Amino acid sequence: MLAVAVFWIMAVLAVLGGLGVIVSRQPIRSILSLVVVMLALSVLFLLLSAQFVFAVQVIVYAGAVMVLFLFVVALLGPGRERRGGRLRFQWWLGSLVGLVFGGFIYSMLQGARFRPPQHTDLSTFGTVQEIGLGIFTRFLYPFELTSVLLLVAAVGAIYLSRGGRVGEGRGAAADDGRVRGEEEPHA
Amino acid sequence: MNVVLTIPNPGGVWTNPILHWVIVVAAMLVLVFVLLTAAAYTVWFERVALGRLQRRPGPNRVGPFGLLQLAADGVKLATKESFAPRDVDPVLYVAAPAIMVAAAFLAWAVVPVGIWYGLTYWIANPNIGILLVFAVSSMNAYALLLGGWASNSKYSLLGGLRSAAQLISYEMALGMSLVPVFMIVGSLRLNDIANFSVHWGPYQGPIPLIIVAPLSFIIYMISAVAETNRVPFDLPEAEQELVGGYVTEYSGLKFTAFYLGEYVNMITVATLASLIFFAGWNPTFWWLPAFVPFLAKIIVFLFLYHWLRTTLPRLRYDMLMRLGWKVLLPLAMLNVAVTAVVLVAVT
Repeated sequence: MLAVAVFWIMAVLAVLGGLGVIVSRQPIRSILSLVVVMLALSVLFLLLSAQFVFAVQVIVYAGAVMVLFLFVVALLGPGRERRGGRLRFQWWLGSLVGLVFGGFIYSMLQGARFRPPQHTDLSTFGTVQEIGLGIFTRFLYPFELTSVLLLVAAVGAIYLSRGGRVGEGRGAAADDGRVRGEEEPHA
Repeated sequence: MNVVLTIPNPGGVWTNPILHWVIVVAAMLVLVFVLLTAAAYTVWFERVALGRLQRRPGPNRVGPFGLLQLAADGVKLATKESFAPRDVDPVLYVAAPAIMVAAAFLAWAVVPVGIWYGLTYWIANPNIGILLVFAVSSMNAYALLLGGWASNSKYSLLGGLRSAAQLISYEMALGMSLVPVFMIVGSLRLNDIANFSVHWGPYQGPIPLIIVAPLSFIIYMISAVAETNRVPFDLPEAEQELVGGYVTEYSGLKFTAFYLGEYVNMITVATLASLIFFAGWNPTFWWLPAFVPFLAKIIVFLFLYHWLRTTLPRLRYDMLMRLGWKVLLPLAMLNVAVTAVVLVAVT
């Protein structure tokens, strides 16, 4: 009963947050709406007794990724999104894509049956120990491959952000403190 | 230490769901009250400690030993004019201090408190344990960043940006530093970590984990001081260059909220350090109630904060970033790898 009430509150919050992301004209409001989505989703994970996923969702997405987004927006300080610049047939195209996507979701939900997992011990389900076992035994290769994929993306982003030049220009070497001609002892 | 106490249960008081909630809420209110008082006396302790370290008496006028100074300060802060600049973002300007206080108190949901001989009190003891503390305290970055942004002032914005960069950088090292502890104990519950026991020859019982994970403790303390924005990592509110950083445009109760959040976070860090690395309320002797060693350890760590504040100069920004990313984080990862190898070799 309580779980159903929490589910509906969080589901409505998540959808409202999602709307806020695309509707608000201030970038900072969009980001905070996305934070609301992340937090609402994390509570939904908790309702599914996935404790660890809940913690990771809050720490990584709400706590780190979104803070970086907010950091960039606060640093660049765009007051408002610029109006205009729309395609002539944007409404038409947007509706079509939305319709197709809605159709996809509808057809996917046709085959879904909502029931608790059958072969899992629900008392240990979603605990840190269980997730760790899964990641390092059954899902070892998918897990490691995903981390390689993320590494590739990070390296690629660094390469692109420096305009394709490596080892020249205003890069890490210039920021290394050697500009001042000194090497501060620390640690 | 989880001694099952046989508490008399007249009329099913403890099993009645509504009364159960009444008791839980009352216990939470007691905890909030204790934390508020503790935060106030941490301020008093800090001022006295700073004073003595600088060869001056510190507050000694209001009440005996200046102990009522905090009551006077509280009344002053609460009745001060709450002034807000004209062009602030009205919603976020109020939300930022609220987030700060809420996050600071929420972290205590999973912190166990040793009270009496066999009695330990906690609100919740979930499997994820300390991860919840990390999750909640990562919300602090929003408080500082939004507070800085919403104030619509250059000093505030710079303070907010600095704090966000600093919190994200040191969160990594903080989390990684505790991984060896989790590997040794095999649990994230703070209760299990504090009561971690060994069978070493003739000795059998709880040990302070600093013996087996000393490097973790050092990395944890440095990162935790950085996470709470205290000297020598107080760049977000560096008063010489940024006036007050993210709190520059705050006054009255909203300023108090930021201040309160910062001190509660300090107490949380000190409590976690004593729970994780110094066995919390252990060792327990028959003549010593559990709260005495527990409280003594927390006070020692709080003193460490004040000691650092009088001793060390502030880090420069590039030194801060280099220490976090190039020293602490690789060291913490190495620590995890070495601990893993040793653990596999031993067992």
